[in-house]
Amino acid sequence: MIGADRINSILQTVLDLNLGDQAEASFIGSESGLTRFANSTIHQNVAETQSKVYFRVVIGRKIGVASTNSFTAGDLKRAYRSAAKIAKVQKENPHFVSLPKPANYSKIDTFFDGTAKFTPRQRAMKVKSIIDRASKKNCTVAGSLSNGSGELAVVNTLGVSAYQRISAVSVNVIAMAANSSGYAEGLSRNVEDLNFRAIAATALDKAARCASPAEMPPGEYEVILEPAAVAALIEWVNYIGFGSKPFQENTSFMSGRIGEKITGESVTIYDDGTDSSAIAFPFDFEGVPKRKVELITNGVARGVVYDSMTAARDGRQSTGNALTPDATGEGGLALNVFVQGGKSSLPEMIGNVENGLLVTRFHYINGFIDTPHAVLTGMTRDGLMRIKNGRLKGGVKNLRFTDSILRAFESVKALSAERQLINAWWDSLGCIVAPAMHLGSLRFTGQTDF
Amino acid sequence: MKDRLKTTIDYLKSKGATYGDIRYVRTTTESIKVTNETVDTLAHDVDQGFGIRVLIDGAWGFASSAICTQGEMKKVANRALQIARASALTRRAEVKLAEAEPAVDRFETAVVVDPFEIKLARKLDLLLGINKVLGKDSKIRVAESSMDFYRTEKIFVSTEGADIEQTLTESGAGYTATAVDSGEVQRRSYPNSHRGDYGTGGYEFIERMKLMDHAERVREEAIALLTAPVCPSGPRTIILDASQMALQVHESCGHPTELDRVLGTEISLAGGSFLTLDKLGKLRYGSKLVNIVADATCPGGLGSFGYDDEGVRAQRFDLVREGMFVGYLTSRETATVLGQKSNGTMRADGWNRVPLIRMTNINLEPGIVSLNDLLADSDGAILLDTNKSWSIDDQRLNFQFGVEAAWEIRGGRKTQLYKNPVYTGITPEFWNSCDAICNRDSWHIWGVPNCGKGEPMQTARVAHGASPARFRNVMVGVDQ
Repeated sequence: MIGADRINSILQTVLDLNLGDQAEASFIGSESGLTRFANSTIHQNVAETQSKVYFRVVIGRKIGVASTNSFTAGDLKRAYRSAAKIAKVQKENPHFVSLPKPANYSKIDTFFDGTAKFTPRQRAMKVKSIIDRASKKNCTVAGSLSNGSGELAVVNTLGVSAYQRISAVSVNVIAMAANSSGYAEGLSRNVEDLNFRAIAATALDKAARCASPAEMPPGEYEVILEPAAVAALIEWVNYIGFGSKPFQENTSFMSGRIGEKITGESVTIYDDGTDSSAIAFPFDFEGVPKRKVELITNGVARGVVYDSMTAARDGRQSTGNALTPDATGEGGLALNVFVQGGKSSLPEMIGNVENGLLVTRFHYINGFIDTPHAVLTGMTRDGLMRIKNGRLKGGVKNLRFTDSILRAFESVKALSAERQLINAWWDSLGCIVAPAMHLGSLRFTGQTDF
Repeated sequence: MKDRLKTTIDYLKSKGATYGDIRYVRTTTESIKVTNETVDTLAHDVDQGFGIRVLIDGAWGFASSAICTQGEMKKVANRALQIARASALTRRAEVKLAEAEPAVDRFETAVVVDPFEIKLARKLDLLLGINKVLGKDSKIRVAESSMDFYRTEKIFVSTEGADIEQTLTESGAGYTATAVDSGEVQRRSYPNSHRGDYGTGGYEFIERMKLMDHAERVREEAIALLTAPVCPSGPRTIILDASQMALQVHESCGHPTELDRVLGTEISLAGGSFLTLDKLGKLRYGSKLVNIVADATCPGGLGSFGYDDEGVRAQRFDLVREGMFVGYLTSRETATVLGQKSNGTMRADGWNRVPLIRMTNINLEPGIVSLNDLLADSDGAILLDTNKSWSIDDQRLNFQFGVEAAWEIRGGRKTQLYKNPVYTGITPEFWNSCDAICNRDSWHIWGVPNCGKGEPMQTARVAHGASPARFRNVMVGVDQ
């Protein structure tokens, strides 16, 4: 950890060179480790110390971005000068108004010393305990356990000065039996919150329940989606629909439909970087405070998330969803997505299904088929089960779904009160918080051999 | 720098490491993206650091840092040793490495025009000019053109005496027109989707693409798709254009032949492979026309290099020969399972990542028929062009791919245009239905700059040589 004062003072010294009308420096530093295991042995165990500093220099409406991973004064000044040089040859960006102004940030505890200092040996011991548990059940296990800490800081010449330190830990376990597998995962800022024993037990239980999976033909099924399956759908729906770029380009299923009912009434989805029950983070990469943003409320499209540039285009304020300066062209993206829970529970939902499927998770979803209708396709994986007369009735060979998620979400029958934090590709800056979901209908269009 | 690396190698030896290597990597990146005549990305990045991989007590450890001082290298070496000892807590068998001749060499990508020496204004003028042509019709809601350049300097030193320096230069560009009208969204890209085409080489690669020449066609095709009928569903004879063939090879041959996937070490993220060890030399993967090679030595291929990140020389070898599955992509560790030497496919996407088995240039060898003759012989077939969506199961069997556009072939020509085409199948059944592959006249090595694998996620730049090919009785569309 370098610390707020030192980072701020070093970045400020560089910005004091004053080569543009406005300038911004953002720092991302991390120390992380990851232990990966398969066939019940650790096969990869890595550590990394990395930092990145982005400079954004504005001359008139011309913007230049340069970055370096060296934190020496000479390299930082070189990168800053590069950004200024790029800005000079840039074309004017008509959508640029200004870099953000100073703001107050939510005080959120996002750092836990025990997570930051969790050692490779401690990771290996946790993995060993998972392996030992699996051996007793005649299973092997694969998965990964990662932990790390980091610092993010944003300063700009208008007076923005934001700093936050973070930690995060995540684990995923796939239990492998003779002809079946089961999955479970955990995510937290605090390693003390993760129950490794329960996560391993869930994965092992699923593998056992799915032994000798039966074939079921593709078709329309009533389904229970566990939180990891819901989150996988939401990750894609978020990417193609909840950001300002697809919204403004009219490729999003939200475009032109704000205020319209687009899903079933029980669907409420929002972004909230300030909710410390999840992987909270108080500001974005421009130093704009995060806040709760309604995306879909009771089935009605409410809005999308913005960075400062795309917000200005729509005559709005940034919602605090800017990405790193090298990805400015991508607009805002929701990184702290919550699907509101309901009043049910997973056992209760299963009990209400006469003939259907339980999906533990999806694999390799793609959502570029027809974005205005949010058509996604993907495979089930690691725990597809049949539900018959309200009870789980063994594993099913994996199926491919292809469906409009708006159509499928029209058929929501129940949501669990309990929600789970699910890791997303953007890692320690946020996650998807999802309940289990009971859908009246999801269309499966293909099958595979296992 | 090299002295510091060698001193660290000596330190690893003094600590009793069975094996160790250290890799210094410095990557310079320039990315430009123009959207609707606004330059929304113009970024320059320099990233450098080193990674130490060590084998002790029969287990692996890896640690890395961006601070390239001698003191930091010693600290990181100690961390790698500590991590390896932690890994040994679950060891079932000692890691063994296949023999490899320690190379002392230098490799550099052949570059005619250094892309980092071309003035930004010239690059911007080209991308803005393309944007202007694409955006001439108001139905084109998004005109996007981009360029990316990478220069990677690597030094690899090992306890076995390897001492290799490499400088790789990679260039790429492309554009997409997105047409929107009445709730319909359609797009066309050139020369490929996913930011275009990429290769090893300099700015001459960009100039060879003749980007401006295709902009009007791309715009008009995107607009035409808005009112085109939906591609009809059902079993059809299909012809995949060369770029979609590249994607097909990538997903259904490249990934499943990675031996680390086969041995289970990718299960936690991307999954395993149906090409299990018992199928090597025995499985009829495709029809007799299908020959697929891994070739890291192709001039200009995005998957070309001198040495992999274990110091093994770039190679060319068969994966599928006359339809039979005959080879895997291997590393020094996994090759021992086959009693072989590594075929040199271990690459990391930076100094801070451990090398994994990655595709190189995985090429479907050209056949003998010309494209014109194939079209003339394919009345009623559907030609599927340019990838749009991709999904495949975790053993790489059931796939569903979507493309930007499809045409019905009549009288040897493209006739009716269809929108939203997808096709689906099971990998070996699909490849066994291949009954024609076009000749070298329409064969091209397509760069794929965004192949994801591993935890932490690594993005590799790989490539696939391919020409258009025909497949019988393939399911087009999905019954919904």
